[in-house]
Amino acid sequence: MGLEDACVHCGFCLEACPTYVVTRSEIHSPRGRITSVRLGISSEGIETCMFCRRCELACPSGVEYGKLIHNVREESPVKKALNVVMERPQLAYRFFKSSEGLNSPVVRRIHELIPRMEAPLEYREESPEIILFPGCLMSVAFRRTVNNALLFIKSRGYRVEILNGCCGLSHYSEGDKVRSNALIQQLRERFKGRRVVSLSSNCSAHMREMGLNVEDFSEFALSELRDEKRKLTITIHDPCHANLMGITKSTRKVVERLGINVVEMDEPSFECGAGGGYFIYHPEIADRVMDVKAEKVKRSGQKLVLSTNPACSLALAFKGFRPLHLADILEGIEDLNPS
Amino acid sequence: MRLFKVMNIHDELASIVGEKWVITGKETRLYSYDGFTAVEGDPSMVVLPGNEEEAIRVVRLLLERQVKFVMRGTGTSLSGATVPLGGEVVVGMARLNRVYSQSGLEIEVGPGIANAMVTKNAPPHLFYAPDPSSYMVSSIGGNISHDSGGVHVVKYGPTVNSVVSVRVILAGGQVEDVEYGPFLSSLPIFVGAEGTLGGILRARLRLFPKPATRKSIFATFDSVRDAGRAVVDIFRTGVIPSALEMMDRNTIRVVERSRYRANAPDVEALLLIELDGSEEAVSEQENLVSRVIKEDNGERIYPDDGGTKLWNARKGAFPAMGVVAPAYLTLDCNVPREALPDVLAGVAEIGRRKGVLIANVFHAGDGNLHPLIPYFPDKAESLKLALETSAEIMKFALRMGGVPSGEHGIGIEKLKYMDMYYNKEELQVLRRIKSVFDPGNLLNPCKLLGGCRPRDEVTRWMWEWD
Repeated sequence: MGLEDACVHCGFCLEACPTYVVTRSEIHSPRGRITSVRLGISSEGIETCMFCRRCELACPSGVEYGKLIHNVREESPVKKALNVVMERPQLAYRFFKSSEGLNSPVVRRIHELIPRMEAPLEYREESPEIILFPGCLMSVAFRRTVNNALLFIKSRGYRVEILNGCCGLSHYSEGDKVRSNALIQQLRERFKGRRVVSLSSNCSAHMREMGLNVEDFSEFALSELRDEKRKLTITIHDPCHANLMGITKSTRKVVERLGINVVEMDEPSFECGAGGGYFIYHPEIADRVMDVKAEKVKRSGQKLVLSTNPACSLALAFKGFRPLHLADILEGIEDLNPS
Repeated sequence: MRLFKVMNIHDELASIVGEKWVITGKETRLYSYDGFTAVEGDPSMVVLPGNEEEAIRVVRLLLERQVKFVMRGTGTSLSGATVPLGGEVVVGMARLNRVYSQSGLEIEVGPGIANAMVTKNAPPHLFYAPDPSSYMVSSIGGNISHDSGGVHVVKYGPTVNSVVSVRVILAGGQVEDVEYGPFLSSLPIFVGAEGTLGGILRARLRLFPKPATRKSIFATFDSVRDAGRAVVDIFRTGVIPSALEMMDRNTIRVVERSRYRANAPDVEALLLIELDGSEEAVSEQENLVSRVIKEDNGERIYPDDGGTKLWNARKGAFPAMGVVAPAYLTLDCNVPREALPDVLAGVAEIGRRKGVLIANVFHAGDGNLHPLIPYFPDKAESLKLALETSAEIMKFALRMGGVPSGEHGIGIEKLKYMDMYYNKEELQVLRRIKSVFDPGNLLNPCKLLGGCRPRDEVTRWMWEWD
């Protein structure tokens, strides 16, 4: 029996799916995608899935949807090339810089969502006790957040090494079985016997699902928090995979311990619209999902949005909000000027 | 011929809704099922209008060209009421999900809006009462066409009690607003008509004020008979609970294996009761209900989370059957409450005789049974056995004073029970009504009143008696 055979076609997943919400078409719904696999027909929907896997939380029959999509997808050469670049954040940074002004829709779209990139922060102390793993996008798009995380960990008395690399979630979601597996194997070697703190919460979720022993930054923060408070009012976005794996719970615990005032948005785990690299390849659907998300955020009345995953933060910033990571709240608070 | 006719209108449909909202080729097969998967339909084309005006133009075009069509919401029908069996065009209404207006105790919505979104768009002190278990996704148009129920039916009534008016498009292409009224009102005839008389374009729905308090009570029983007696006795005290549900041991075991695991006790029967109203009223009702539970040998349990998980387990119990088998049949015959203990015993006996696992999870308060019968769709004999079992249960329930469908509709699944429940003259009247509204039989053919010949062995098992 294939994974698709566990689906009873009840449709409970429909409204959980961002691409269904903006198209209301069976083709772009989890149920439709599963059915197309079961019937063995090729359908556009397989490619339009944003891989947020929110449908898995809505599914009463426990269909392993993420695995199913991973299995049936075939990665395109363009996606493959981009992923190869992202595997080495230094290279990604140089590529980004040199591609400015290039007249390609893909490049233009990347620069539209990522207005600025910085060289990844390199840092290594002798016999480090903690590996800080920012994640590929975080390392180049949010260098300051990486720095804040580093400061926080160091303030707790640990020796740190930053490891700039890629967890392979993009590869996995786009169906690149070989490479996503290889990246996890590499990390397994690098992480062996070490304490790893992962800064991008969806990467934390993916690595954990792939059997790697990592701590999400929020979990680290929760265990190291002192009696400290932050006077701040925010709303919270729950990144999809972190939400699926329950990691967002610890983010929220930290927020609570810090005494931060939270005004909840509607459906905090609703897809941000970036979908990893999805926004590059399916701009039309991605933009509409971002609009829906922006509506939900807007109704909270807040500009400051806690987002622990870089792609989500980019999408939120693109829609005019001010995303901040837990690390920014913990270490960069004097920079924030909520008004 | 039929295909030719349909292909011919493709361009015209595309000019109304836009090329990408007309689905042709193999992807149409994604619209060949709804929540009932025993039969795969064969839509010739799928059209997804984006607003009411487009929907009207699409339907008028189809009518003008004498093309048969099925109007569909989000495809969660449990009776196959939106499965196209004869190459019909599917008109998907899910994109018509707007809230048009809200004032007083009424809200006007498009037919494609999900049931749950109605309450979400209502003022915070009001709610839309009918809540089928699929309420998170099932569409209002489909709810109206099935007269959908849900756990709150027992106090607030099924969909028909919450519809104030509908805008329908008729087989002549006319668009009519029909209101609820005292003199020969034509509104109720469209509720539960399964799209066979006209297409729902929008609806004005009734909202109820949210009760000041809601209280959940859970009780376990060592015998289904005792639980059934408690259901009857609760009403005898004068209490009308806002929900009164039962889960039997098989259902409890199924949900405990699914993601709805609620740490429910492994007992013969579990009653899930909800009381609502003012604080004083609820506490008085609670006393009365507690006494009944005790007298009928039940025992109250107090879940740590206040019962949220148990309610979720109840709502997810149908699709949770996926942990047993990838498909299931379910019935929704209403029987008189007094008959519940005997009917449940009879259902269990049928299950034993047929060697089929039957899980019962249902709206006990209104006597609305939901025996769930799992089967394996890739094994014809497994489906045949499930269909035979459901026929046995249905015959038995009708003998005990039941009706063929309380809320899921007749669709294609229960056609042969119509002949059993209604006599010839009654059926003739129903067919004449259908032919008055839809003389060309273009609107959702084969459903509700049948009239189609079986097209394969599954439809033969379903529609014909041995």
